[in-house]
Amino acid sequence: MKPGYEGPAIDAVGLVKEFERGRRTTWQRVRRQADQRERFRAVDGIDLRVERGEIFGVLGPNGAGKTTTMKMLATLLEPTAGTARILGYDVVHEARDVRRRMGAVLSDGRSLYWKLTARENLEYFAALYHVPPREQAARIAAALQAVKLDDRSDDYVERYSTGMRQRLVLARALLPDPELMLLDEPTVGLDPQSSRDLRDRVRDLQAQGRTVLLTTHYMEEADQLCDRIAIVDHGHVVALDTPTGLKRTIAATEVVHLEIASSPADAALLSRLEQTAGSVARHERENGDLQVTVHVRSARDFVPVAFDAAREENAAIKHVEVVPVTLEDVFISLTGRALRE
Amino acid sequence: MIEQLSAAWAVARKELQIARRYPLNLVNEVLQPLYQFLLPSLLLGLTFYVGGRAIGLEATTGTDDLAGYLFLGTVVGGLVGAAFWDMAFGLKREMDAGTLEPTWLTPTRPDTAVLGRAFSALILSAIASVLLVAIGALVFGADIARGVVAGLPAIVLASISMIGIGYLVASAVLMIREPNFFVDSTNFIFAMLSGVAFPITVLPPLIQPFCYLLPTTYAVDLLRYYALGTIPLLPPPAQWLALVVLAVVYIVVGRWVFMRTEHRMRVLGTTGQH
Amino acid sequence: MTASPATFSATTPSRWDDLRADLRAFGAAGVKEWRLLRRYPSLFIGFLFWPIALPLAYVFQAQGYSGGQPAALDAFAQRTGTAEVAGFLFLGWAAYMWISMILWGPGTSLRTEQVRGSLEALFMTPVSRMVILFGPVVSQIVWAIWMFAVVGGVLVLFFRVPIGPIEAIRALGVILVAVPALYGLGALFAAVVLRFGEVSAMVQTVRGVFTVFCGMTFPIIILPVWAKAVALSLPPTYLIGDLRAVLLQGSDFVSLVPELAILATMGLVLCGFAIVAFRRTERFARRGGSLAQY
Repeated sequence: MKPGYEGPAIDAVGLVKEFERGRRTTWQRVRRQADQRERFRAVDGIDLRVERGEIFGVLGPNGAGKTTTMKMLATLLEPTAGTARILGYDVVHEARDVRRRMGAVLSDGRSLYWKLTARENLEYFAALYHVPPREQAARIAAALQAVKLDDRSDDYVERYSTGMRQRLVLARALLPDPELMLLDEPTVGLDPQSSRDLRDRVRDLQAQGRTVLLTTHYMEEADQLCDRIAIVDHGHVVALDTPTGLKRTIAATEVVHLEIASSPADAALLSRLEQTAGSVARHERENGDLQVTVHVRSARDFVPVAFDAAREENAAIKHVEVVPVTLEDVFISLTGRALRE
Repeated sequence: MIEQLSAAWAVARKELQIARRYPLNLVNEVLQPLYQFLLPSLLLGLTFYVGGRAIGLEATTGTDDLAGYLFLGTVVGGLVGAAFWDMAFGLKREMDAGTLEPTWLTPTRPDTAVLGRAFSALILSAIASVLLVAIGALVFGADIARGVVAGLPAIVLASISMIGIGYLVASAVLMIREPNFFVDSTNFIFAMLSGVAFPITVLPPLIQPFCYLLPTTYAVDLLRYYALGTIPLLPPPAQWLALVVLAVVYIVVGRWVFMRTEHRMRVLGTTGQH
Repeated sequence: MTASPATFSATTPSRWDDLRADLRAFGAAGVKEWRLLRRYPSLFIGFLFWPIALPLAYVFQAQGYSGGQPAALDAFAQRTGTAEVAGFLFLGWAAYMWISMILWGPGTSLRTEQVRGSLEALFMTPVSRMVILFGPVVSQIVWAIWMFAVVGGVLVLFFRVPIGPIEAIRALGVILVAVPALYGLGALFAAVVLRFGEVSAMVQTVRGVFTVFCGMTFPIIILPVWAKAVALSLPPTYLIGDLRAVLLQGSDFVSLVPELAILATMGLVLCGFAIVAFRRTERFARRGGSLAQY
């Protein structure tokens, strides 16, 4: 980090990123016509403070602005407004210093050279990361060992599975021995076992003293891995706390999912459930049935009351499921939508 | 038979639809022969002009219409390219895109699909040739239009042969892992040996007999004979006969080799690999 | 990894250390390109076949055009300054093939990386952007030298063109002076292609212009005045003309100084343009997010 710098690993204030939709033709440019393209804000004022040594998660659905935020921090995108410092260095004006100290996994195995072996890939990137020649062999060996690819290092990447390629991308990000790791959806497209392996590697990174910023739309992953989580939607942070703290924002300890055969009394039933439980988080029609999600303090107390209410309104409850509160429920309560919509 | 022809036409239609979505590629079909071959050859020819005439070319071939000589060669060169690149190498593109295996899962025979690609390739080649002949006539003063009409049957017969040759090249494409160089080099050698760029009489005597095995040698020679009054390589009736015989031979042999290769691929299980 | 929390490796190096690291990265880029090339053995055959086959076709064509007529051959010699038809054509096509290699190789490398998905990974490293832009050039020069060696060998052994060591050294000097110009052109092309994405059409257009104007198969004196002016603004014209001068007409370096000076200046200008264009393209990509798009 910057000499004398004592602040957080990441300090982003008011980050904004605006894109234009469509293309401006050369003819329009030559004629100096006003740029009439529609603008949209992928990131709309994000503040992030990530302390050193923590695993910080950014959780949100597709299109929330997570990747755009990551790319701004990784110096691949210039912010439209706002500032961001990585280990004290400004991402716009001191980009090269940022790149020396950061390892990033922002893409999948396509960013590797498939016609080279794993070792050849890492040798090339080690030079690009300015790893001193006398340290290259040791760093490459350590990176391969960290991701458990040391026995396959001389195989061509084209013969790797998807999970192995993703681990090799992580190994590449470790070459500069970075204090900060940016991981953008690192487990997307991986099978459960590979995902678990990768999460173990992320925990190892923290154990080594590194700071990790990761984005994901898998709430279980965020829940398991992260010390703190920022929930992002439509380009801004809607909540930020530890996983436990976020779940406490819902005045409930359990979530009850009800599947109710549709009837003319749906509205009345919903109203009764609202009065009983205090929080109908979500309701929607699916295949002709009414799906209702309710946040409760005690399912044991709520369920019999729900059945009574349904009977009185001549509705039939077909299925009941009781689960603990998850981050998905937090997201639904904040945004009214599910993470996977 | 009707079903297979109908399927072949469906393949051709699909190729033409895709081609229509890339209009720049069609423009390139006309421009590329122009700048890659015609203009450099014309300018080289001008370097040998004496008193504003191609006296050397006239001594070799019987005509001093340099532009006409070259443009007619390009028409046949386009035919060769259609067989090698569009018909045969198109298979490789399908393999790379992953669309070959699904095609071979249908009741349509693989050679029918190749035939369909041949139809579209020949149509596109014909369009490009017409445009090139027009450019040759309007811009470069090549007086070849009537000759092209008279020599059209030769083009048709040569096209049939080229379908057979396309089958042979397609077989190689299926078996070779990296066929780019193979297709590129054989396309080039085939065109050169056909006399597209120069009279085959300047080639070493050891090589000339091979030229007479190629249908396009007769096609381009007959075109030039009818359009420009060049000295024919053989008497025209003999060349017409050769075109007919080669058409039959190449179609039969080419298709047989392709079917054997396709069978071998199914045995080895290499249909989906690239 | 064994680093403890307080001892990560990154420091801010001196400019000299950075420069040395960037030079090492250049070398690594060349090694990477070589290793990738190695996976396509048919390319090696191509590097032997095309430098011979393509110009040979034009040599046969020239034989057809001359028809053995002394008047026609004299006309050629007067216009080109040499009676060595094979040498004239082989050198012209060698230059064409070098330019093609540059346009398709380094000229499209950035776009290829973008389409492949590896461009962002390169941009996230601290390496100088000049390495990303000019890196692919390094391995490519080896192939250019190989190709010229093949052409030289064929001319000497099969066509008995008298090329001695002095002429060969002069030719090497011309090639070296042309390197910044041609690779600057390639790098400029790479930056433009990355911005606009139409690789094939652009390559064909540029190749077409060079083929028509630069004297690959003809002396530029036969061009009309306006075309000659275009020819004289293009680096390949000087490369081809000067190679023919030193190898076929016995010219020495001193007599070519004015033209070589023009070529060297073009090199500086083109490399400068390439750097500016690339910086603008990178800025555009970082503003619009198109590094990962294609």
